[in-house]
Amino acid sequence: MRNTINRRNFMRNVAASASGMLLGNSLLAAAAENTPAVAEKTPADRMKQVLSYRKLDAHVHLGLSKDGPEVNVDFMERLGIQRMFLSKPVTKPVATPDDFRAANDVILKAMRQYPGKLTGMLTLNPLYPKESLEEIKRCTGEGMIGVKVYYQVKISDPLFYPIVEKLIDLKMIMLMHAETTLGIAGYRMKYDRRMKPNASRPEDFISIAARYPEAMFQFAHIGGGPDWEYACKALKHSPNVYVDTSGSNNENNMVEFAVQQLGVDRVLFGSDNMYYQSVGKLIDARLTDAEKRKIFFDNYNNILKKGGYHVD
Amino acid sequence: MLIDVNAWVGHWPFKRLHGNTCEGLLARMKEYGTDVSLVTNLNGIFYKNTQSANEELYEEVHSKKAYKDRFIPFAVINPIYGGWKDDFEVCVKKLGMKGIRVFPNYHDYSITEPALLELVKMARDSNIPVALTMRMVDERQRSWMDLATEWAIKDYLPLLQAVPDAKYMLLNLSTGVALSAEEEALLKKTDVLFDTSGRHIGHLAKFAQRFGEERFAFGTHFPVLDYYTGLLRIDSLRAEEGDKEQYRCRNAQRFLGL
Repeated sequence: MRNTINRRNFMRNVAASASGMLLGNSLLAAAAENTPAVAEKTPADRMKQVLSYRKLDAHVHLGLSKDGPEVNVDFMERLGIQRMFLSKPVTKPVATPDDFRAANDVILKAMRQYPGKLTGMLTLNPLYPKESLEEIKRCTGEGMIGVKVYYQVKISDPLFYPIVEKLIDLKMIMLMHAETTLGIAGYRMKYDRRMKPNASRPEDFISIAARYPEAMFQFAHIGGGPDWEYACKALKHSPNVYVDTSGSNNENNMVEFAVQQLGVDRVLFGSDNMYYQSVGKLIDARLTDAEKRKIFFDNYNNILKKGGYHVD
Repeated sequence: MLIDVNAWVGHWPFKRLHGNTCEGLLARMKEYGTDVSLVTNLNGIFYKNTQSANEELYEEVHSKKAYKDRFIPFAVINPIYGGWKDDFEVCVKKLGMKGIRVFPNYHDYSITEPALLELVKMARDSNIPVALTMRMVDERQRSWMDLATEWAIKDYLPLLQAVPDAKYMLLNLSTGVALSAEEEALLKKTDVLFDTSGRHIGHLAKFAQRFGEERFAFGTHFPVLDYYTGLLRIDSLRAEEGDKEQYRCRNAQRFLGL
């Protein structure tokens, strides 16, 4: 917008519009006849484009709502997602071994129900180190390919060290719920929301990533609420931290900003079950076709390839 | 035909926006085949004198034929600021604005403020809609200078109850949509148009089934949100899930009398 008002022009335009009825029915006619929309794509073309990208959903859940796995699969078919990497974190402050085993059992059941479509990521709680390591063994033995953790313990806490070391051995990534919100987990606590005190912030990812440069970490959902500009800027110099673009927030320029700060290879497509926003913002992003293919598919598949868990 | 009922130009003070000019918006419209956009000046949320923003928008829209042909401007009116009745009259009768947006949360007045009720009655009598925006930005990533709380859909309902015969647009359904049976009944008997930009429309067909297919129209909330998500909710509907054309244009045409 131009910020200055040229009074003379303004009043002349007002006079010209007379009754102010330049718009409305006549406008639709003008749009249709005088300056027709230059539609580069028809609706069918647009969906063809959406479906043309192979997609691996690097952050998606089951069991956090009343929806069953058939809803995940329906959206896979609707939006052309080849595989979902599915988890059921325990989303309460206390997560006992019984809790995380039960959550993982839900995912294992879905994997058996939809082989080749749904692949699991196990959850655990490092407050229970022995049981967590046992759970890694059990679930990876049944085909799970990574770990998804929540906010019971910060990612930089020494309790996580044996977990991270095990994942280095397995060449698997650890996806951690992340926050960059006023008043949560140490960020500007004058706005204290009295919630999630042990959630992980970008600074916590930076710390663990520096300690274990050979490990792979996934900063969850830059569209899931965090101040994504803050998060991407902060993580710029942590090359073993990836971000996924999932979440309900589909702000314009989010994906482009992530690519600009982190490089295209560290940006992963994910939905966090917010399917329209996650596909829509990446399709609309001002990126090249090759960059979109990397984000939708190749980047995550390359991570999986390190351990031989890739799709192709 | 494709009509976007929820577009903006202008600035957001806490974040750089991209494509936030008439030219930027028009480029996206051409890319996606949008014929017409209902457009409002974001600056009107932040200027004390919102009429300056309406004048800016008018001047910008009238600076180029392509804009004039494609944009339907909406005015931002603050009914607790001096001269607001004149602002309304000028916007509707001289500047050709086809609707108004009000921001009780940003402009710091209650939803039952008598001046707001008077403004909405003036809009009703002029047969133009009143647009209520459920969310401007996701408060979880807000600036420390921005509002700390968002209003849920039910927070706006006292206005619908007070002036039930006005036309309302409820845009960017991204805050709470939980309603009691009475609240839902009130919403259903009022002339309301929702847009497709909001996060709560997790499945358009199901949401439309709840409130009525004729009440939904394509909206982007661009350039705050990306341009495509609101349209993808329509594009990806299966044939048995509804008539896409009603969402693309027909419902907006009927509601706005275009």
